[in-house]
Amino acid sequence: MTRWPVSYPLALLIALITAAPIVVLIGLVENPADFLDTRNLDLLVNTLLLMLFTVTGAVIIGVPLAVLTAYVRLPLGKLWLILLAAPLAMPSYIGAFTFYAAFGPGGEIDNLLGISTPSASGLTGATLVMILYTYPFVLLTTRASLLSQDASLINASRTLGLSLPMSLWKIALPRALRGITAGALLSALYTLSDFGTPAFMGLDTFTRVIYVEYNAFGLDQAAMLSLQLLVIVGLILFLESTIGVTLERPGRSLTIWPGRWQVPALLAAVAPIVMLSIVLPLGIFTLWLFREGNAGFELEYAWNSTYVSLLAAAVAVVLALPVAYASIAGRFGRLMDRITYLGFGVPGIVMGTALVYAGLQVPFMYQTLGLLVIAYVLRFLSLAVGSVRSTAEKLDASLTKAARVLGARPSEVFWRVTVPLTFRGMIAGAALVFLEVMRELPATLLLAPTGFETLATYLWRVYEAGYFGRAAIPGLLLVLMSGLGLALMLFGERRAEFGMIEDKKS
Amino acid sequence: MLPGGLLAQESQAKIALSVEELPALEGELTLYLGRGEGGLYENVLDAIQQRNPALELNIRRGPTAALANAIVAESRAGVRRANLFWAVDTGAIGLISNEGLARELPQDLTNQLQANFRYEKWSPITGRIRTLPYNTERLTAADVPDDVMAVPDSGLSIGWAPAYASFQSFVTAMRLLEGEQATGEWLQKMDKVARSYAGELGVVMAVERGEVDMGFANHYYTLRLKAGKPDATVDLAFTNNDAGCLVNASGIVALSEGDLPINFIRYLLTREVQSFLSSEAFEIPLVDGVAPPQGLPDLATIQPPDINLTRLADLRPTLDLMRDVGVL
Amino acid sequence: MLQIENLCVDYGPVRVVENLNLTLTEDEILMLVGPTACGKTTILQAVAGLIPIAQGRISLGNWEATPGKSIAPEKRKLGMVFQDFALFPHLTVEQNVAFRLTDMVQADHWLKLLGLDNFRYVKPGTLSGGQKQRVALARTLAHEPSLILLDEPLSNLDAALKDSLRWEIRNALKVAGVPAIWVTHDQEEALSVGDRLGVLNAGVLEQLASPEACFCEPASRFVAGFLGEASFIRGQLKGNHVSTSLGDVPATAVDEATGEVDLLLRPDDLSLAAAVGPGNAKVSWARYEGAYWLYGVALDGGPQLQIRTSHENYFGIGERVGVEVITTHALAAFAIA
Repeated sequence: MTRWPVSYPLALLIALITAAPIVVLIGLVENPADFLDTRNLDLLVNTLLLMLFTVTGAVIIGVPLAVLTAYVRLPLGKLWLILLAAPLAMPSYIGAFTFYAAFGPGGEIDNLLGISTPSASGLTGATLVMILYTYPFVLLTTRASLLSQDASLINASRTLGLSLPMSLWKIALPRALRGITAGALLSALYTLSDFGTPAFMGLDTFTRVIYVEYNAFGLDQAAMLSLQLLVIVGLILFLESTIGVTLERPGRSLTIWPGRWQVPALLAAVAPIVMLSIVLPLGIFTLWLFREGNAGFELEYAWNSTYVSLLAAAVAVVLALPVAYASIAGRFGRLMDRITYLGFGVPGIVMGTALVYAGLQVPFMYQTLGLLVIAYVLRFLSLAVGSVRSTAEKLDASLTKAARVLGARPSEVFWRVTVPLTFRGMIAGAALVFLEVMRELPATLLLAPTGFETLATYLWRVYEAGYFGRAAIPGLLLVLMSGLGLALMLFGERRAEFGMIEDKKS
Repeated sequence: MLPGGLLAQESQAKIALSVEELPALEGELTLYLGRGEGGLYENVLDAIQQRNPALELNIRRGPTAALANAIVAESRAGVRRANLFWAVDTGAIGLISNEGLARELPQDLTNQLQANFRYEKWSPITGRIRTLPYNTERLTAADVPDDVMAVPDSGLSIGWAPAYASFQSFVTAMRLLEGEQATGEWLQKMDKVARSYAGELGVVMAVERGEVDMGFANHYYTLRLKAGKPDATVDLAFTNNDAGCLVNASGIVALSEGDLPINFIRYLLTREVQSFLSSEAFEIPLVDGVAPPQGLPDLATIQPPDINLTRLADLRPTLDLMRDVGVL
Repeated sequence: MLQIENLCVDYGPVRVVENLNLTLTEDEILMLVGPTACGKTTILQAVAGLIPIAQGRISLGNWEATPGKSIAPEKRKLGMVFQDFALFPHLTVEQNVAFRLTDMVQADHWLKLLGLDNFRYVKPGTLSGGQKQRVALARTLAHEPSLILLDEPLSNLDAALKDSLRWEIRNALKVAGVPAIWVTHDQEEALSVGDRLGVLNAGVLEQLASPEACFCEPASRFVAGFLGEASFIRGQLKGNHVSTSLGDVPATAVDEATGEVDLLLRPDDLSLAAAVGPGNAKVSWARYEGAYWLYGVALDGGPQLQIRTSHENYFGIGERVGVEVITTHALAAFAIA
């Protein structure tokens, strides 16, 4: 290679910064001699099974929902998208806890309705909860991929006699593979690093060992075990990067008009997911709210959550652009892209502590809002990178060349051609970061300005103390504010959509 | 502010002080508060703040271990943010002390605590006792063994939370009282009959639902559950003079010089605060003259083991033991 | 036989196709032409079942679609050729052509007939535009549809290719003996390829007739203007003649015009010669077209006219010339707007 692509220096810088907490982790390991403890191998099986089942389930639920929200004209279509994406803002430990409380003999469903349900526990219970709180990763990344596809291939396939479901299966989904795997990857990493859900469901996983070590003040052990987990993360990252892409021009996306009877049928099919992931936890909390009463909540927390999440989403998307483009430009860029994912696979509390060490390198910023936003971006940059990349890599290079020939400098081409055409991916990435920051806990607890409370930290506080009724209002607000944030972003997406229709009208 | 001499005289009294007798708090104070504890610790802190308008109290809440690690990281970077660290866990206090960050407390302060809860570099605030919650539809208190070492052979189904910090402190106490070998055997036998839960709240809920006959948990989970649900089918049983009825404590460490952090701790040891934490949070008061939480018998009748809580910070051998047995 | 009755299509609150009626028989090729956003692609998508219809009825062979009863596109037994070819990028040419086929007979037939035999095993990405559209056509024909819809199939191709491919497609359609609706915005294509021509304007079918009839006897000024260079000259309608400043010209009234009318003059309805004496017009502009010259001349005291002459007759800008009507067939006369 004679010349580096313009995105490389920036991407390298960003990748190095995101790698800082990982370097901190390596520094915290004091005794690398006992790097491998064979006793942990059994746990690895549980961890990998949970990850495998969760990813499979998240794809099985997320992809059809992506098709539904991308292509099908539904009344209040955007509202359904918002509701279906909202579980991403709900901490999964909350879901796991309410599942545990609701189901089974003696659970709230049994108590209230007298319906006996099997109790949610073990691998099945953990998988179910993890699917419900990670499928929106797949939903959002796949939806962005599907929306950037021109409708004519599906139309061609249908007029050639292939049914709509088969056309989507054989023509649309293979081209959305990168979007699907980008979401599946996030779902896998989230599952790998989550502690609360498997703990509640009584499933022994690798993260439990890390938490036990961490809580027993063995930070060095916890760091080392986290690095071991990163070996799996690295393997998954490698596998995901081997999936190829086909180039195509973006165009006006497909619209499917459902028949009159199909609308209620579709909504009925979607309703259980929303019921289980959002209505159930909020319902259980509300029930307890009536039993216990409420106290101590301030609306300011909702505002704090929302603006800091929006801020982090915006910064993450901007920083994701050079990384995503470097990733498309060449092999080295691809490596930098992969580096940004590492942080997402480290259990939150360990990552939170690593971020404290990293943050203390700039003492004047320590525990300021600015550093908190940077910490969020370090943790979740990969969410934005993946979404932007999966839309951007399908872009026809002739478009940027055309702009160059018209006399535009590379930066102008970037802002006037590339960015508008990857806008969908940026929106999807921003949405993912936004929702993930809404539920982020450890970094917020440790790095926010002292006294800065968010919905997630308040939820944790009352949950830790066992005052579950008080979780109802912040829980509801978490869903509401996430909805508002998403609506704001989708408004931006709609504007991009109009642009697309205008130039293809006939 | 009152002169120190006056306070020294006051401290000889066995009955806890009232907030009325304390100096007003002035200035800025940052408290790292381990774990959430919802509105209850908040209520205490709010009340102190309201009595002392000149006090600017900043609170950072987080998991105890995470805050302890952050304090260590801060001190290594030469940054000090916290003046006080209120931990639910004696292990966290051990970590801070080992780093040499805990400040020695004046004797008149530590003397306010009950005699077996006086420590040089930290002050216990409230106690929690290990209990055996049992399902009242399945068992009576008499069915529950009063010797913790006999529990695995009782033929009952048992819920426990081996990953939970309080449980690990309990195993540490057992190690110190019964020795490594007996504890290892106990864990081994338990592993065959016990069902694991993520936390001790989960244990108590499982007992109440009848998933297991009885369990191991700190006392307040049961009392809080019963307060919210008076007809709950769970009650407390206690062992006698062994690790099974260990009284552990939450504690506070002063991290910076000056009177303000010390005087703040004095507020937490007042009659008012202690009785509030007792009646509302079901925590055990550790100063004299304040009644224990409702639903809990007098500590004197239970006969908890006499153990130096600071020694419970020695967690590493406990974890190794638990892991060797295969319960972790 | 395709039958469309009273078809209306809405996009949200906007009606984009209004009350369309047409019937297509046997192997007829119907050209649909109109400016951008006139609704022609919408009609194809409605016939294909890709968008819902608001009113009316579409039937072909054994199916009938109404607003209440939509038929899935895959059940309509029709083929569609797209402007952007819509080839599946992940399949080879042969796999594209045989997409839904169980045996290769038809695929082989069309691959050979359209000269694609050598490209069977390549992916569409490596083909030229013309080859791509041949693959798309082969794919459509190999699936033996009972109707073919072509959505501006030549608009992404260069001019030289357009000319030859246009006839290749027509011949293939005739060989297959299948009726087709071919949408275009190119009036030359519209006039030359089809058996019948429909002219659309803002969702309304303004004329449906043979290409000659549409060109020579346009049903509206819009049709007249859209299909070719049109000049108008004022005159008095008297029976089957219009008297104008260029003399009496045979004419038919289009829209029940009487009295004073505008007479449609195509560039080849007129002749141009060097002025004998003062002449009756002056050359305003000249455009060289290879075999012809197209002139714009300003008639003395009258309108601007367009006249096409052989390339041998050259006149300079500003030169005085003599203009005459040379046509013998009746010209269209429109009421004054």
